[in-house]
Amino acid sequence: MRSLDQLVEQSARSLAHRTSRRSLLAHLGRLLTGAAVLPLLPIDRGSRAHANEAHPGPDSAESCDYWKYCAIDGFLCACCGGTSTSCPPGTIPSPISWVGTCHNARDGRDYMVSYNDCCGKSTCGTCDCTRAQGEKPMYRPSRNNDLNWCMANNADSNYHCTVSVILGVAEK
Amino acid sequence: MQSFPRWTAALGLVLASAAPCATPTAPAPLPPPLPAERLTVEKLPAPGPHWVYVFDDAFDNETDMRVHLFDGDSFRRLGQIDAGYYSSFNLSPDGATTVVATTYFARGSRGTRTDLVEFTDNHTLAVSGEIVLPPKRAQTLPTPFNLAYSSDARLLYVSYVTPAASFGVLDPAKKTVLGEIDTAGCVLVIPSGPNRVSSICESGRLLTVTLDAQGKEVSRSMSEPFFDADRDPVFVQGVPTAVGFAFLSFLGDVHEIDFRGAQPQVSAPWSLVSAAERGVWRPGAQQVGAIHMHLGRLYVPMHKGGEGTHKDGGTEIWVFDMASHRRLARWPMKAKGISLVTVVQVTQDPAPVLFAATASADVAVIDALTGQIRHVERKLGQTPWMMLTP
Repeated sequence: MRSLDQLVEQSARSLAHRTSRRSLLAHLGRLLTGAAVLPLLPIDRGSRAHANEAHPGPDSAESCDYWKYCAIDGFLCACCGGTSTSCPPGTIPSPISWVGTCHNARDGRDYMVSYNDCCGKSTCGTCDCTRAQGEKPMYRPSRNNDLNWCMANNADSNYHCTVSVILGVAEK
Repeated sequence: MQSFPRWTAALGLVLASAAPCATPTAPAPLPPPLPAERLTVEKLPAPGPHWVYVFDDAFDNETDMRVHLFDGDSFRRLGQIDAGYYSSFNLSPDGATTVVATTYFARGSRGTRTDLVEFTDNHTLAVSGEIVLPPKRAQTLPTPFNLAYSSDARLLYVSYVTPAASFGVLDPAKKTVLGEIDTAGCVLVIPSGPNRVSSICESGRLLTVTLDAQGKEVSRSMSEPFFDADRDPVFVQGVPTAVGFAFLSFLGDVHEIDFRGAQPQVSAPWSLVSAAERGVWRPGAQQVGAIHMHLGRLYVPMHKGGEGTHKDGGTEIWVFDMASHRRLARWPMKAKGISLVTVVQVTQDPAPVLFAATASADVAVIDALTGQIRHVERKLGQTPWMMLTP
């Protein structure tokens, strides 16, 4: 286990090294240009049991093991009437978000993923999922999943669930 | 329904004929009737040395967070303080007041957002006042620095994130908002002395703002960096020490900061782990350390795991001597039926109790000197993510 842990850590460090903040921001900027669709920046809530509630296979958007969820923290919208990229009916997407860099084993690529909260209704309460790959404390908000990213929705700042939206391939 | 009387009569006959023939005896005299009861409201007893305030994030229904008051001697819940939506809490320096910074929506789960700070009298657990805030309060997980008193309790600071970062300065006596201080992207309110507030910056520095008696900014300064957010971030859940706070890093470094002077003084970090353990064993979860100041002992939930496991709870609690930095003990929790430890807190008396909340929402009451588990309170809320002792 020790060698496996070290291997994982080395890989993570190597990835972090390859993906500098500046390149991340540049990439994000490019993605944002002309893409009015996606809210861009970086919420969680803490350490419940991990990857524990949703049991479908790792390729299912209802599974906490799904590759896109590597830095998510919250309830999976796919279990709440939405999908991995759509908010449940009657909720309102957060215009701001946090991001993660997740590895898709199927094509061997790393992707930048935006985690947007769906807001305006009470907590979904199903498929609680906490993962924290590359997650940082709130002094780096764009990578932090503790904040309520519904915060800017004013009257609809109540948190319901979280989606994960691919922004693009992470620049090496 | 009409056949019911005949059916029951028949059943009665059958049962009566089946009963053994016995000589009828006189029925035993009934005890005297219970006296009439009086409805009352329980009064809190005098504070005990092992009381703990347990913040329940109520993650499955976050509009209904609360703080439980629990006695580590009688193992009883003593009462509850309601905490609203995505709230923060703290205690006044004298322990007499609980403050909760929270949000309410006009229609329960929706409608106009009202942010406020609520004050609760810890002698009665009744709400004693409130201050309405601008709708900017940082809605984040509980830390000791979301909402904090100055050392003389004359000012109260509340962290704002919109996501622009700033903090509010409040007068808890007059129940007014005195002003707002921009923090240039640095977050949280680390109080020191009667009029200083430090915030943690992404650059690894501390921004320290000095205030006047009216809560207005007098000066500000930036420390040298004491951590690297890329290489080894620190948890924002600082642990109170005798002279300030200690911040633990993801890899297990301890950054002790002396907040007694005008500027925070950072000491050279020391490590919770040996070279062989580094990157293998690490601290994690919600409240990552607790210090008994007189004994100089630090308690940390530790687990084996790699990058990305900093929110995992501890399978063991490690005990350190703050002076020598020596590890005094490893207390395995799983072997004792305790699930992953996510929150630790210790009382400050000579016979201290260590409280350990778990990922299963249990709270273990542990002898802080020996590690002996005295009691496990099952399901103290849904998600107990921070604990404070007066």
